[in-house]
Amino acid sequence: MSWNWTMADAQALLPLMVVSAAAVVVLLVLACCRRAGVAGILPAGETPATRIGAVLTVIALAAALALLPVAGAAAPRSVTFLVIVDGYGLFFAGLLLSACIAVALLGHSYFRQETSAGGEFYVLLLLAAAGAMTLVFSRHFASFFLGLEILSVSLYALAAYNRASLAGLEAGVKYLVLAASSASFLLLGMAFVYAKTGTMDLGRLAQLLNAAPQPALVTVGLLLIMVGVGFKLALVPFHLWTADVYQGAPAAVTAFIATVSKGAMFALLMRYLVGVNFTLQYPLLAVLTAVAVGSMFVGNLLALRQENVKRLLAYSSIAQLGYLLVTLLAAGPGGRELAIRAAGGFLAAYFIATLGAFGVVSLLSSPQREAESFDDYRGLAWRHPVLAGVLAAMLLSLAGIPLTVGFIGKFYVLAAGVNANLAALVAAMVINSGIGLYYYLRLAIALFTPSRAEPPPRVAIHPAGAAVLAVLTVLLVAVGVYPQPLLRLLAAVVAL
Amino acid sequence: MPLIATMPLWPLVAYFGVVVVMVAGILALSWVLGQRRRDRQTGQPYESGMVSTGSARGPLSAEFYLIAMFFVIFDLEAVFLFAYAIAYDRLGWAGYVEMLIFVGVLAAALGYLWKVGALDWGTSRYGKGRLPTSAAGGGDSTRGKS
Repeated sequence: MSWNWTMADAQALLPLMVVSAAAVVVLLVLACCRRAGVAGILPAGETPATRIGAVLTVIALAAALALLPVAGAAAPRSVTFLVIVDGYGLFFAGLLLSACIAVALLGHSYFRQETSAGGEFYVLLLLAAAGAMTLVFSRHFASFFLGLEILSVSLYALAAYNRASLAGLEAGVKYLVLAASSASFLLLGMAFVYAKTGTMDLGRLAQLLNAAPQPALVTVGLLLIMVGVGFKLALVPFHLWTADVYQGAPAAVTAFIATVSKGAMFALLMRYLVGVNFTLQYPLLAVLTAVAVGSMFVGNLLALRQENVKRLLAYSSIAQLGYLLVTLLAAGPGGRELAIRAAGGFLAAYFIATLGAFGVVSLLSSPQREAESFDDYRGLAWRHPVLAGVLAAMLLSLAGIPLTVGFIGKFYVLAAGVNANLAALVAAMVINSGIGLYYYLRLAIALFTPSRAEPPPRVAIHPAGAAVLAVLTVLLVAVGVYPQPLLRLLAAVVAL
Repeated sequence: MPLIATMPLWPLVAYFGVVVVMVAGILALSWVLGQRRRDRQTGQPYESGMVSTGSARGPLSAEFYLIAMFFVIFDLEAVFLFAYAIAYDRLGWAGYVEMLIFVGVLAAALGYLWKVGALDWGTSRYGKGRLPTSAAGGGDSTRGKS
C-alpha cells in the first residue's frame, strides 16, 4: 500500500491542496479576528471576521483556479489509486471553482448587515468546494464516498445557516436526514458491487459493465448507488427534499446546492457511465431513462403553478437535470466525445443561469427576510431595472431561448440525443421545453407588470454581488452569441 | 467473490424466520398473559412511587451537550491514530507526513473552539448567555469584549 510522492503528484493535486489548506487557514484567522477585531482598519457596519473570511476565501479559490493549468501540465495523472487528475476533471474543477467564487461573493453580499454571522460560512464553503473537487477527481469508491461526505456535511451546516429562521432549521434537518439515509443506500450498493466484482476501482467497474451483462447482485448494487447519486442530483423519485431545502437555505447557499453540489456529482457519474454500452446493462438503461423522463415532467409540472420563486427555481433545476441525463444515455460506445461536450456545454450554461437567477434572489434578500414570493418580484423592473433585466435574461437562458448560453447547452443536448436515436427522450425534452417556457416567462412577465400590493422594502445592492451578476450576464450573452471559445475548450477537454 | 458464491443462504433465512417468530411470540405472549386495565393512574409515568410534578420541558444547560459532542468528535478522530499505528511500518514517511497534517488539522480545530470560547465552562469571562451561540457560528456576544 505504500507509495512514493513525486513532484508531479504534488503538482497535479495543487489546486485541491490550496482549497483544503485555505479552509484551515480561514478557520484559524476567524478564531483570532473574532475577538480582537481589526476595527479602525475595516469599515464600520461589517463584521471584520466576515470581511477577512470573504477576502481570503475568494483569494484561495481564485488561486486554485489559476493553478489548474499548472496541474494540467502534469495531467493526466493518477495520484495513488484514489484520485485521477485529467483534462475532464480539470474542466469541471474549473467550473466548480468559478461557481464557488460567485457563491462566496453572493454570500458576502447576503450577510452584509448580519453582525452575528461569523465567517464560518466561508470555512464551510471552502470545505464543500474541496469535497466537490474530490468527487470530480475520484476514481475509487473510497474517494467517491469521502468527497460526497465532505460536501454533504458542509452543506448540512450551510443549509441551516440562518439559525434564527424556522425554515432554515427545517432545511438543515431535512437535508441531514435524507442525505444520511441516501448515503447509506449508496454504501450498501458499493458493498454489493464489491462483493460480486471484487473491485472498488470505478474505471475497472466501467470496463466490466462494458464487457458483459452483469449478475443481478451487481445490477442491484448499481441501482442502490444510483439512489445516492439521484438524491444529490435531485432526480425524480429522490427529489422530495429539493423545494423545502432550496426555500429554507440562504439564497447564496441554495445557488451552491443547485450548481456545485449537483455539478460535481454529475461530473463523477458522467466520467464512468459515459460510453458504457447500455444495451448490455438493460436494467440500468431502463431506470436511467425513467428517471430522466420523470425528472423532466415532474419538475416542470410542479413548477407551473408555483408562487414561490425559490421553489420555482428548485423545480426548474430538477427538470434541467433531467435534460442533462439525456447526454449520459446518448453516449453509447461511439458517442462518448459528443456526449461529454454536450454535458459540459449544458452544465456551463446551467451554472451561469442558475447562479444568476439565485444571485438576483440573494441580492434582494437578507438574513432577516428572503425575497421569495412572486409579490417581491412584481414590478421589479421599476424598482431595480437592472436586476429585473438580469433575472429576465437568466430565465430566458434557462428556458433555452436563442442568443443566450442556455440555447447552446440545450441545442447540444438535443444534438447528442438525436445523434443516438433516442426518439422518446428527445420528444420528452421538446415537450418539456414547451412546458418550461410557461413558468419561466410567467416569472419574467411578473417582473414587468406593475405591482398592486405594497412594494417590499427597498434593499441596497452590494457591489460584490452586483459584480458577480454583471460577469454572469456578460458571459450569458457573450457565450450565447459567440460560443466558439467554449466549444474549443470542450473539444480540448475531451481530447486530453 | 467466492465467499458469497459458496456460502449457503438457508442459515440466514432460518435466522430471519427465528427472529420473526420470537418477536411475534414475545408480543403475543405479553398480550395474552398481560393484564389490561384502564385506571386513573395507568397512563402516568412511573417515578419510583412519587407523583410526578411539573413539565419535563424545562431549560437545561447546553454546555454538557456541547462538551459531550466535542468529546465524541475528538475521540472518534483518535481512532484513526490507532489505525495508523497498525500500518506504521508500511506507510513510511509519506504516512507520517499525512498523519502530521491530520493531527495539525485537529489541533487547528481545537484552537478554533478554544478561541471562540466553546470550551469555557460555567460563569463566563465574556458575560452571560454566551453559549452555545458562540460555538455554533454566532459569536455575537463574545465580540462584546475588547
